[in-house]
Amino acid sequence: MSIGPITLTLALPLLGALVLAFVADDPRVVRIVGLAASVAAFVASLVLLVDFDVANSSMQLHETMSWIPAIGASFSLAVDGVSLVLILLTTFLVPLILVASYGSVTVSLKGYVAAFLALETAVLGVFAATDLLLFAVFFEFTLVPMYFIIGIWGGANRRYAAVKFFLYTTLGGLLMLVGILYLYSQTGTFDYEAIRALELGTTEQHWLFAAFLLAFAIKVPIFPVHTWLPDAHTEAPTGGSVFLAAVLLKMGTFGLLRYALPLFPDATRAWAPWLLGIAVIGILYGSLVALMQSDIKRLIAYSSVAHMGFVVLGTFALNTTATTASVVQMINHGLSTGALFLLIGFLYERRHTRQIAAFGGLAKRVPVMAGFWLLVSMSSLALPGLNGFVGEFPILLGTFQTAPWAGVLAAFGAVLAALYLLWAYQRMFHGPLVGADNEHTTDLKPREIGVLVPIVVLIVAIGLYPKPLFDLVEPSVERVLTEVGVDAPAVEPAAAQTDQ
Amino acid sequence: MFLAQSSVDFASIAWSSFAPELVVVCAAMVLLLLAVAGRFRLAVAAGCGLPAVGAGVWLVASGRVLPGAIAIALGAAAPALVVAFPGRPSLTQSWGSGLTLFAALLLTFWQYAEVLAPHGGLIVPTEALQGALANDGIGFFTRITVYLSALLVVPIGYGYLRDRQIGRAEVEPLLLLSVAGMAFLGTANDLITLFISLEVLSMALYVLTGLARRDRRSQEASLKYFVTGSVASAILLYGMALLYTATGSLDLAGIGSGLGLVTSPPVVGVLGLALVTVGIGFKVALAPFHLWAPDVYQGAPTNVTAFMAAAVKAAGFAALLRLYLVAFPNYASLWIPVLSVLAAVSMLYGAWVAIVQHDIKRMLAYSSITHAGYATIGVVSNSDAGLSSTLWYLLTYAVATLGAFGCVIAIERVRRGEVTLVDLRGLGRTSPMLAGILTLCLLSLAGVPATAGFIGKLTVFQAGVAAGHTWLVVIGVVSSVIAAFFYLRIAGTMFLEEADESRGLPLVTTGLSAGVSVAATLVLFLGIQPQLLLQLAENAAAVVR
Repeated sequence: MSIGPITLTLALPLLGALVLAFVADDPRVVRIVGLAASVAAFVASLVLLVDFDVANSSMQLHETMSWIPAIGASFSLAVDGVSLVLILLTTFLVPLILVASYGSVTVSLKGYVAAFLALETAVLGVFAATDLLLFAVFFEFTLVPMYFIIGIWGGANRRYAAVKFFLYTTLGGLLMLVGILYLYSQTGTFDYEAIRALELGTTEQHWLFAAFLLAFAIKVPIFPVHTWLPDAHTEAPTGGSVFLAAVLLKMGTFGLLRYALPLFPDATRAWAPWLLGIAVIGILYGSLVALMQSDIKRLIAYSSVAHMGFVVLGTFALNTTATTASVVQMINHGLSTGALFLLIGFLYERRHTRQIAAFGGLAKRVPVMAGFWLLVSMSSLALPGLNGFVGEFPILLGTFQTAPWAGVLAAFGAVLAALYLLWAYQRMFHGPLVGADNEHTTDLKPREIGVLVPIVVLIVAIGLYPKPLFDLVEPSVERVLTEVGVDAPAVEPAAAQTDQ
Repeated sequence: MFLAQSSVDFASIAWSSFAPELVVVCAAMVLLLLAVAGRFRLAVAAGCGLPAVGAGVWLVASGRVLPGAIAIALGAAAPALVVAFPGRPSLTQSWGSGLTLFAALLLTFWQYAEVLAPHGGLIVPTEALQGALANDGIGFFTRITVYLSALLVVPIGYGYLRDRQIGRAEVEPLLLLSVAGMAFLGTANDLITLFISLEVLSMALYVLTGLARRDRRSQEASLKYFVTGSVASAILLYGMALLYTATGSLDLAGIGSGLGLVTSPPVVGVLGLALVTVGIGFKVALAPFHLWAPDVYQGAPTNVTAFMAAAVKAAGFAALLRLYLVAFPNYASLWIPVLSVLAAVSMLYGAWVAIVQHDIKRMLAYSSITHAGYATIGVVSNSDAGLSSTLWYLLTYAVATLGAFGCVIAIERVRRGEVTLVDLRGLGRTSPMLAGILTLCLLSLAGVPATAGFIGKLTVFQAGVAAGHTWLVVIGVVSSVIAAFFYLRIAGTMFLEEADESRGLPLVTTGLSAGVSVAATLVLFLGIQPQLLLQLAENAAAVVR
């Protein structure tokens, strides 16, 4: 029985949501409560960072409470480097998302903020849980608030998108639950470390890996099961898109790294080449489709498919360089794509259209917005000096060591990213300023700049000095790779085969 | 010799084994008497109350404090309720039956603490009344579910019955008789007791289904239910006769050992098994024996539908569990595949057909077929874990489905007719509380975490995987996803669409809101902190064999 900073970080947003249920439906009160709860959670997560021992590669800061002893499930939380950075990303972004939404959400703001706070708790639970049942509960529960966020506050086609999102992800989640139940039937506990210690036969590993992979692949989303993402992204309200891209997708890649790889090492090594191929297809396909989009939000949505493809590529390159960088890239994608969705939201509030063709020459009227847009696009296309580069480059470097062909093909994706992002920027912000709408577009307000500045600061900071982030993540990633049986920086095929 | 047999030794009767049912049956009689007493109501109430108080005093004096106190309280309540609600007999009836059911629930727990598991832990199963009743986990947990369901149905249905002017005096006594039949079905340990309790509960329900005498759908539902139900009973009876022929035994354990002997003809036994499966499958609405369910659920007064969905399913599965685990363990290699297929068909078919329904009651009827499939996963697991998971699943299903039907009643009361998806449009804006509770219950039926339904599905899936029925669990998952679609559609219609101003607001009365809130609270409580009752369900994995 112990309650510490992790529980506190999880509890504060939920507490905020509960408080909201009892306060008056006054926008001012709601804003203050929402911001207070999310900032408090951020502060609590900073305490976590201070307490964290960087040199230690295993799970730490354990907190355990009794939950359902009848079936061997407990409310146990802990963090390693990977989950810690994702927790920080989540708690860092939620206050910004809320502030950004305060201007645009007019219908039942109270419900919106409450849904976001509940969602934050669920996502933090996903990252922190060390009990597989608890993890599955949080993983599934994230769907409920997100369903309502898309469905109530979304765009014109929101119901379709919300239902599609829910059904896709729930199918994966439930199949994973069956896998978890199988693991439970083998061990009699849901405890992560106990299940990690379990020795599974190769056939079992393949089936279980498939179940877990499907759940996470849908969430990431990996190429053939990505089709819910463009709809969900396009229809979701700005805050929803930001959170979806920045945090919810990371649940998938995090799950791969935390569960699929270390629990089923043999299957991981066997599937890795195939997954590298699928990741490359995802990168190229996402980039090409993004190039064709006329809706800027859909463009960024497809760019997410491509960027998450890089993360998957790095994860399954299975060497320290690439896999560590893929975790860093999760953070980078969260920051840069999150910022892009924020900017699109700000622009949409002014113009009520997202068609690229409707814009032109905006840089003359909205120089500040154009500046932010350009910087964030550069980060997204991995310009050296910004954060995208320090993630993407080592991923490619590591992949070249493991599977040169995948590295070569993925590198084309990086080129395509520059193409679609800069081309969109050029069409929207440069060229002649035509039309009254473009003429009268107003620049960013202080509140909006205030939301963007912290993100941009991090983008530049990580780009210039990424070492602390790498230091935080690397030991945990190395532990996972040791478990998979590839502890050397590059994969040695002989070692992989004898380890069966 | 006849005299010697018929003389009853009162002291040797294990009263505790059917104490809750005794209270319920007596109360049903008293309420029926009150209904016909006219201006002698007070005298009748006092006349019935006095012996109860007397018996209670004797019980307290002899050391059984809780049953004694309950007898005294109920005895005193009879005249008190008559005095408290002069000129409103239906209120007297409702309060009377509500108190009775609460008392029965209390007695169930008293029995657990005193008789079934006096030292905590696993229930110690014993027989009572020469083996006619079984004091064990199935009986105990079924009692909890059926009494709780009935207890919630009474307040939920009160205003509705009055609105439709179908709240006649026989409603509450019939409800009590039916619930007593269910509880007996949960404890029935021989074929005769099993069949009689099944008929008691069915007969009462046939009448309750046809309560709305001027509503054609209700009449049609009642007749359909009666005719098909009777056929099913006949099939069941025939199967029982064959089992008796094969083994020469009526008591389930005897049949179980008899079917294992080489002397019993296997063909007759297998035929008996098949017919019994059909009969019970009908009662719990397992596909393909479900055909009555949609029409009956749709036509019956909604509070009766709620009761049927929640409680009949629990009682039917209690009989199913006992039959298969106690009487047919030797035929496990036969019935496990058959029931698995039935479960798979029910899960997929129910979810698939529910998608195209527009009438909410009909949709929930098909969803109840799906849930019968999930519960069957626990049965075919053929293990202690499977047994307790089925019992637990039925409880979680009961509370969620009661809450959902309760909300439907509130909407139906303004609509005065069928409730379709269109009627729910924008309910999230106009009455957020009701829409929230309905959504919560639907999410529970869909099996979303933090609701009772998730833990329910989790436990049956767990038992299924442990027993090696992973394919069945995967089908369960697929059906859950299909089902999530139509549950979400209801939630979506309420929250994601604009309200239609011309429609009236749902009518929520005190009773209804109390019942629905309790159901919603239970859905959350059992979903977030299930330990308490899950442990009870685990302890209930003990059967008289």
